[in-house]
Amino acid sequence: MIFQSNQAPKYDFLQEKNMEFLFSLLNSENENVSGLGASIIAHACGTSVEQRVLCEAGVLEKLVILLDGSLSQREACLESLATVLKNNPEAVSDFVGLESGRYFNSVTELTKDRYPRTRLLSCLCLVVIYNTSPSYFINMGTKSSLITTLLELLNDPGQSGDDAALGLSCLIAEKEDLQQLAYEADAIKNIVDILRTGSELQPRRLQGLFLSLAELCSKLEDCRCSFLSLQVLDLLTNALRHKDADVRAAACICFRNAARSVKSLSAGRFNSDHVMLPLVQLLHDPSSSVQVAVLGALSNIVLDFSSPKSSFIEYGGIKQLIELSKSMDPNARCSALRALRNLMFLADNKRKELFCSDVKAQGFACLISDPEPPVQEQALALLRNLVDGCISSIEFVFDEDGLILDTVGRQLRKAPQAQMAIQGMYVLTNVASGTELHKEAVMQQLFPQAKAGSENFMLKFLQSDESQLRSATVWTIINLISPSSPGAFDRHVKLRNAGIIPQLKNMVNDACLDVKIRIRTVLGQSMSFGDNY
Amino acid sequence: MPVRVVESNTPAQVSGTDPGNRSPLPPSSLLGAGQAFSGTQNVSNQQKEEAWRVNVQIQGIDLEHGYLCGTMEALNVPMADTPVITFWEGEIVDGKNYTFYTGKWEATREDDMRHWSKFPSFSPLQGQVETDGGRQLDLNNYPYIFMRWKEQYFVNVGTDCGLTIAGFYYVCFSCSDGSISGFYYDPNSSPFQKLELKTVNEGRSGFSFSSYELQ
Repeated sequence: MIFQSNQAPKYDFLQEKNMEFLFSLLNSENENVSGLGASIIAHACGTSVEQRVLCEAGVLEKLVILLDGSLSQREACLESLATVLKNNPEAVSDFVGLESGRYFNSVTELTKDRYPRTRLLSCLCLVVIYNTSPSYFINMGTKSSLITTLLELLNDPGQSGDDAALGLSCLIAEKEDLQQLAYEADAIKNIVDILRTGSELQPRRLQGLFLSLAELCSKLEDCRCSFLSLQVLDLLTNALRHKDADVRAAACICFRNAARSVKSLSAGRFNSDHVMLPLVQLLHDPSSSVQVAVLGALSNIVLDFSSPKSSFIEYGGIKQLIELSKSMDPNARCSALRALRNLMFLADNKRKELFCSDVKAQGFACLISDPEPPVQEQALALLRNLVDGCISSIEFVFDEDGLILDTVGRQLRKAPQAQMAIQGMYVLTNVASGTELHKEAVMQQLFPQAKAGSENFMLKFLQSDESQLRSATVWTIINLISPSSPGAFDRHVKLRNAGIIPQLKNMVNDACLDVKIRIRTVLGQSMSFGDNY
Repeated sequence: MPVRVVESNTPAQVSGTDPGNRSPLPPSSLLGAGQAFSGTQNVSNQQKEEAWRVNVQIQGIDLEHGYLCGTMEALNVPMADTPVITFWEGEIVDGKNYTFYTGKWEATREDDMRHWSKFPSFSPLQGQVETDGGRQLDLNNYPYIFMRWKEQYFVNVGTDCGLTIAGFYYVCFSCSDGSISGFYYDPNSSPFQKLELKTVNEGRSGFSFSSYELQ
């Protein structure tokens, strides 16, 4: 019993005498004693070194033999096996190879045992094996069977049901094929029906159920649409108010993934006070994991294509995100800026003004200069959206003597990471799609007088391995020498003299089709200026 | 006509195509979320010549699954007081998720070939598509993207507006200049209603790009 507790002391398997003692327990004819040995392993084995030492000592064979014992011994052994094998491909390989796979089959057979806890623990063992080395599960029937068993166990009223929910979410996480199998096995409806039973479900089970739904909705649009068609938003919003932080966070993750459905966002499914208010309130949740989770959900939900009117904004969401963009936690800053970026996607001037009037140029320059590159990236992506749309919105980068545009130029000259550079170049692209003044302002960032003679950063970007960066850079050039603009010829001369046009001539057969097409556009424009290629 | 919303299920597979060996199409700058297009749809019939002005906006694109979606706004529609907006979902012909053969929406293979062959850019591919469904084609380096767009619901009017969204569009997108042409197919409507769109720059002197990132 002691070693079933999380409070029990750790056991040092690396000491020889401890290992001897452990095996003396496992070898005991008294099943309570051997079960204790297994529980020690389940509780105390934590590192890959300990896993290896145990495997080399023959613990895998021992545990499988003990599976034939009493119920409690069997369950302790299944838990131990999972612990020894978890995230250890070598241990899994050893186990699956034992007795030509007979031991592996023994565990698989136990998923059909009459005792729910045995079925659950054997499933969880298989989940561990699958997550560590999926190649041993080539048989589609085995995968389907595992999912079906876990789904059945969700209905178990005891702890097995609680653990099955979390087990299912672990199994299907990041795996589109398993999510598809679960969807075909009617997992979504089964889980929603359980949530709707009206009986008080344990927080651990609720958490597992919402996380399973979240995983089901993570990659497949069919799943998201199916889920949302079941009128589930009430279930989710109720869970946002649960007293347990893990449940609130799981509900937020479920919201986040369901809101990956652009079709549903476009239909305005999430743009209601009923949904938005509890989410916005969670921005002040005492739990940081809930705050992170709700920021993720809001990031997606604010992408409301259905209406310029946003209940998120009406609830003061912009101000709250601006505050979070100044958080001490870089993840919070990044998430808040991502949410703002999405909020400003195709936004009208009125919405942009709500942001710009609060942040102003100095504040925004600080965001672009954040010490963390992912934060810089999101700030630049937000800026890209702010200067898209109506041509007058470009003026924001010229506030306070062009502070923002200068900051963008400065960051681009610092040899930034590719993702940040991509967003920065798209800022310049968008500004360069404006008036003559705008285009000339971009040229000043590309060719600052104080930095004459140093290699132009555009040349570096054009030679980047990242095709999106090459593409974004070429788009800036396309806009700068757009034939309809009066100063295009002079800008073309400058770009040619800086080696940029000649560099593009070397890239006519770029490996990326999009880059190749854009380069040919530039060279076509070049020819109209009398240049040959 | 009542709205029929058809859910796309398993993508139609040409026999012999091994989707496991195919990759999704590479991205094209002008076919991205936020991009807007404007033009006309020719809805002429034997009684009269008529064209509607049309605006299209891409709202989402998932190349991995050959999926995109957006809205279509039809202006100067005679039986409507306001512009009519619909939400559509698209299938990208990439040889991995979707092929040139529709396999649903009452479109036979003959219908497919009849429509695709109306795009000049399809000519170099036609022989191969007729022979083996196009499974040898390398669409990754082809400067045109072929799609089917299916309107799913009316955004701002009721289904009793007198309009139909029962059919779908065969669409060809030019990667170089972002122009789009399409043909509407609905067995119960006038055949070959042509859609012609160009990119819209909102009064700018060049191209501008917005973006979002789903978490």
